[in-house]
Amino acid sequence: MSVSYQAVGWNAFKKKYDLLLWAGILLYLAIFSAVGLALNPAATAEILLIRATGTAAIFLLHMILCVGPAARLDKRWLPVLYNRRHMGVSMFLLGLIHAVIVVLTYHAGADLNPVLSIFVSDAGSTVGTFPFQAFGFLALVILFLMAATSHDFWLANLTAPVWKTLHMLVYVAYAFLIVHVVFGVLQSETHPGYLALLVVGFVLVTGLHLLSGAREKALDRGRDQDVAEGYVDVCHIDEIEDNRARIVSLSGERVAVFKYEGKISVVSNACQHQNGPLGEGKFVDGCITCPWHGFQYLPETGQSPPPFTEKIPTFNVKLEAGRILVDPVPNPAGTRVEPAVF
Amino acid sequence: MIEIGLGIIALYLLVGIFIAIPFVFAGAKKVDPGAVEGTWGFKLLIIPGAAALWPLILKRWMGKAHPTECSAHRRAARR
Ligand code: FES
Repeated sequence: MSVSYQAVGWNAFKKKYDLLLWAGILLYLAIFSAVGLALNPAATAEILLIRATGTAAIFLLHMILCVGPAARLDKRWLPVLYNRRHMGVSMFLLGLIHAVIVVLTYHAGADLNPVLSIFVSDAGSTVGTFPFQAFGFLALVILFLMAATSHDFWLANLTAPVWKTLHMLVYVAYAFLIVHVVFGVLQSETHPGYLALLVVGFVLVTGLHLLSGAREKALDRGRDQDVAEGYVDVCHIDEIEDNRARIVSLSGERVAVFKYEGKISVVSNACQHQNGPLGEGKFVDGCITCPWHGFQYLPETGQSPPPFTEKIPTFNVKLEAGRILVDPVPNPAGTRVEPAVF
Repeated sequence: MIEIGLGIIALYLLVGIFIAIPFVFAGAKKVDPGAVEGTWGFKLLIIPGAAALWPLILKRWMGKAHPTECSAHRRAARR
């Protein structure tokens, strides 16, 4: 990016997204509290809020984990993926409210430091004394790190691969939260329905990841191919729809072979923003457009149109009898390459 | 033991806050041209991340080069 940073790059879609997201969250909290009070009139406001915010955060975490693979399997999920960052920050805020109320209710006011109390108040090795709160705390630390680095400034300054590695810690947070729930609230709420919900969530998260992983495995055939002299035959031009791409693996990574305006251009498949799959995007208004958040690149140069400054590697390409031949040696990011014309 | 660990983390974050505040006003624009005219909202939002990752931002602030992404294609690109 080279435009000036703002707190949030608002647009009409993001405003609608956030409005729906927070309306949904508030509605959930209200319904959960009302039903909780009806079922257990002795429940205090603190208990209701702790449970309502905790379950809302867990529910959102499942949504966040599912929407990535779901969008790979079915493009109709892409609009949900578009602003997943705000879903993630909202989930962290719910977790934080949950933790603050827990600390104020159970750990504050004694001589012991409240944070230390989280770690020592249940630190045994039996099911009943297992330190489930410590797991919740550690998960919240991970979610904080993710929320704190969710601005595009961090993407640009950590670089997408480092940023993504950091954000992969969400799976560790998920594992910690499963432990937190199983050894925490599920010890007192023994109705099998709660455990069943958690299992369904886990099966959904793992199932979707396995499915989308299997589908992408086919794309990675030839991934280990060495960078060699000579062109690689990737497909026939008729195999690619207009304004779309075919993704193939070359030189250890995926490339996107775009067909547009009677030309073929080849670029590295990873968007510089969050490494979104450019080859799953479209050619719109003269640019390759990332399906995740809409960053754009000129197909001949791999550069974002000014004033933006993102650049991705390009590949030399030629046509022989309708077959698309690509030089597997990448050009430095932003290098102009003449498209193959048909 | 836990007490010592929490003390170290608290100290780490305290140092982080002392580095993060000057960083958002002076360092961020040095490491990223997009931050030169960054809004107040932007500055506020990056303080927690800067406090948490202060060794890294300090390295960037003191260094010269803007980081470039390291991927298989970028590494394999012809010079
Ligand atoms: S990954 Fe965000 S726009 Fe491409």
